[in-house]
Amino acid sequence: MRRRPIGLWTAALGGYAFLYVPLLIVVVYSFNDSRLNAEWVGFTFDWYDKLFHNQDMLVAAGNSLLIGLTASAVATVLGTMAGLAMYRYQARLLSILVLAPIAIPEILMGVSLLIFFVLLNLTLGLISVALAHIAFCIGFVAIVVRSRLAGMDESLTEAARDCGASPFNAFRYITLPLIMPGVIAGALMAFTLSIDDFVITFFTAGAGTVTLPLQIYSMIKIAVTPEVNAVSTLLMLLTLALIIVASKLSPSLLGADEEKT
Amino acid sequence: MKKLMLLLAAALVALPVAAKDQFHLYNWNNYIAPETIKRFEDSCKCEVVQTYYSDNEELLAKLAAGAKGYDLLVPTSNAVQALIKGAQLKPIDKSQLPNLKNINPDDLNTPFDPGNKYSVPYAMSTTIIGYNDVKIKELGLPTDTWAVVFDPKYLEKIKGRITVLDSANELFAAALKYLGYSANDVDPKHWDQAAALIKKAKPYWAAFNASSYIKELTVGNIWLVHGYSNDIFQANLDAQAAKRPFNILQGMPKEGAVLAVDNMVIHKDAPRPDLALKFMNFMLDGRNSAELTNLIGSGNPNLDAVKYIKPEILKNPAIFPDKTVEAKLEQLKDLTSAQRRLLNRLWTEIKAGR
Amino acid sequence: MNRTARSKLGRWLVSGPPVLYLLVFFAAPALIMVLASFRTPGDFGGLAPLVEDGRLDLNLESYTRFFTESVYAQIFVKSVWYALLTTLFCLLLAYPLAALIAGSAKKHRDLLLLLVILPFWSNFLIRVYAWMIILGPNAALARTVNGVLGWFGHDPVPLLFSSFAVLVCLVYVHLPFMVLPLYANLEKHDRALLDAAQDLGAGAWQRFWRITFPLSLPGVYAGAALVFIPALGIFAIPDILGGPEDSMIGNVIKQQFLETRDWPFGSVLSIVLTVAALVLAGTAAWVGRSSLGTPSSTKAVRA
Repeated sequence: MRRRPIGLWTAALGGYAFLYVPLLIVVVYSFNDSRLNAEWVGFTFDWYDKLFHNQDMLVAAGNSLLIGLTASAVATVLGTMAGLAMYRYQARLLSILVLAPIAIPEILMGVSLLIFFVLLNLTLGLISVALAHIAFCIGFVAIVVRSRLAGMDESLTEAARDCGASPFNAFRYITLPLIMPGVIAGALMAFTLSIDDFVITFFTAGAGTVTLPLQIYSMIKIAVTPEVNAVSTLLMLLTLALIIVASKLSPSLLGADEEKT
Repeated sequence: MKKLMLLLAAALVALPVAAKDQFHLYNWNNYIAPETIKRFEDSCKCEVVQTYYSDNEELLAKLAAGAKGYDLLVPTSNAVQALIKGAQLKPIDKSQLPNLKNINPDDLNTPFDPGNKYSVPYAMSTTIIGYNDVKIKELGLPTDTWAVVFDPKYLEKIKGRITVLDSANELFAAALKYLGYSANDVDPKHWDQAAALIKKAKPYWAAFNASSYIKELTVGNIWLVHGYSNDIFQANLDAQAAKRPFNILQGMPKEGAVLAVDNMVIHKDAPRPDLALKFMNFMLDGRNSAELTNLIGSGNPNLDAVKYIKPEILKNPAIFPDKTVEAKLEQLKDLTSAQRRLLNRLWTEIKAGR
Repeated sequence: MNRTARSKLGRWLVSGPPVLYLLVFFAAPALIMVLASFRTPGDFGGLAPLVEDGRLDLNLESYTRFFTESVYAQIFVKSVWYALLTTLFCLLLAYPLAALIAGSAKKHRDLLLLLVILPFWSNFLIRVYAWMIILGPNAALARTVNGVLGWFGHDPVPLLFSSFAVLVCLVYVHLPFMVLPLYANLEKHDRALLDAAQDLGAGAWQRFWRITFPLSLPGVYAGAALVFIPALGIFAIPDILGGPEDSMIGNVIKQQFLETRDWPFGSVLSIVLTVAALVLAGTAAWVGRSSLGTPSSTKAVRA
């Protein structure tokens, strides 16, 4: 039985408190009887009611989820491959290609992607947004996967290959389970980045394409009403529920296979 | 897992399904009443698809990069100037706009679009002073002059409780007006004077803010703002709804202020210019135009709308100013590239604390 | 022979798709803007035509501006400072969180991890607004702090619209991007090493500083990169709750594309920012390479 120092517990709990106090305000204020997100006035369910009748907001939320799931899925696959390549083959070009989208200011990326899509005559819409999101999410996944691989013992993989395993099987049964926590961490970051992105989405979205951040940011100059708090609360709960269901259906999803190795 | 991904991909591709006639309106958020949209949809038997921007510059940047698909846009006058210069607009067929006669002739045929070849006025607002009446009365500060924003002798009393707009154009315009120049003055020496004035006042300001200042004013954290008349009007409604012990009032500075006229224009690549013209004519009808004014307290160039506007809004001098005040209001003109660069350098120096 | 051929094919198969994707959807658009940095801004916005009267209109004007008007470099340096502080505080806050999660029982681990990222599936704007409520002049925190300051005879200090507010928000927004990489690394540490050290008499701090921390360095660098680099370019937070002098380089770049419509200069600033970020990240990685864990020490971990 490991005795973890009380200092660690307090610091960690402090960290959770730091994360959750603003979130509690977000949730509590979704019941605030005031258009503004600034001071508590009174309790009401009105905003949830408004939300369920607000076609625009609901469609926007749906689009955000759709793009988020797609973009993070593709980015996770490509990012894992990139992380693997960066670690194993010290790929310099890839390292730069992967890091630069994270460094480049979003507004530059947004404008240049728009110009690029227009040059290619690509119809702007949900797909153009998803393509853009994947580009900047790959880096996050790649960096985490690479750091997870750092110091990893390649002898296991080599042994498997010498025993006749195909490269794919060696990856699937040896490497992947070992890097799974890194892959999951990367996927979570990619999803988070995608559903909250505004600048790049603004420039690459087509006429009539609305995601949740686009809808919300357009309210910034008038009032970001508690409807936004409501939709955020529901979105969080929905995504949490989705993940819990997914992990129950497929236990290996969250790296629960560790014990087997 | 693979199946899920295939499904997602299919959904993404299938989604942009064009149903019936669609009219793409690219507008500010909350800049048209929902009832108006519904009524238009009924009258044209089409679907109005709204996308939003919250800044003229966002619209300009997106169009300059080549975005298409929008029918009607609602830019402010200086943005209309930029769009005309950039050949981004389709000329209007005025024969399709019988309701154009409703517009006040003073608001037509402006220098930036002579003969209204491309644009038609939609709504107006001014950039003025908004304040918490209880606090400002307590402190004995004037509200009809820009001095309360720029003069340290007044600023001392509201240090940290005043915000100004985070816009070089707007803030310099106010400073120039206070110094007695035109808001469109482009003399670099005058700009230097304005910059010096701003730097002297800056230590007293809480923030340069164009996004979250209104709610801070409404809850009483900030007592005086340099802001847009529509926002300040809305802030008072919110303050009343929350039963706060103060009112948010509008102050029109005697030195004059910036007038912003938003216009309806048609994009050169509009998929449905016919629907755009229908919409323009629809919005030029007094009743439809008045709905927006009643909703957000915006100024209205439509003479036919007067009989539909709430009397308390009509009486508000900040929204419907009299002739003497009107004479001191100026619309901002678009600047040349070199002027914009100079302004940006001055602005960055102000922000960097030099 | 066989191994090398396999390895070459393997290399292309693994690095091919991401490289291809990024070349098309990142490098190509980025090159458009790199080219733009040598062009002239259009008079109404956008870019002036590339070919003017049959001559290619390329120049170094925007680059010269950056190196002569030093105010831009000044703001740039300030942004680096803010980003460094953000990274440091994120590290301090994230480490205990990541350590707790990594050391927890399997069945708790996933939930604890999800709890860290859950708040970030709410919208960015209302999270920042929540901080405006927490830091507001009439809220409990400001009143307590200013009350204490009052005892010492100090003037009240605004928590909102200040560098403090900007930093707190920067740390908040970037925290999960430090927690997740750290967790991914700490999770694979072998407990046996720590237990052995404890049996040999090492105290908690010694165990941490001499075993855990060095082994976690790859995670620390990953987290630091994923916090520092984005934080450098951020503009929304100073816009919403910053004070009059909290503008960061991200704000200046945004202004070039929006208010000033000077795309070439915006491009120059962005290129400087990107190159600086890549150089800093590269240096940190190179410095950290020696402590990344050579095979010999890794064998000790896996023993």
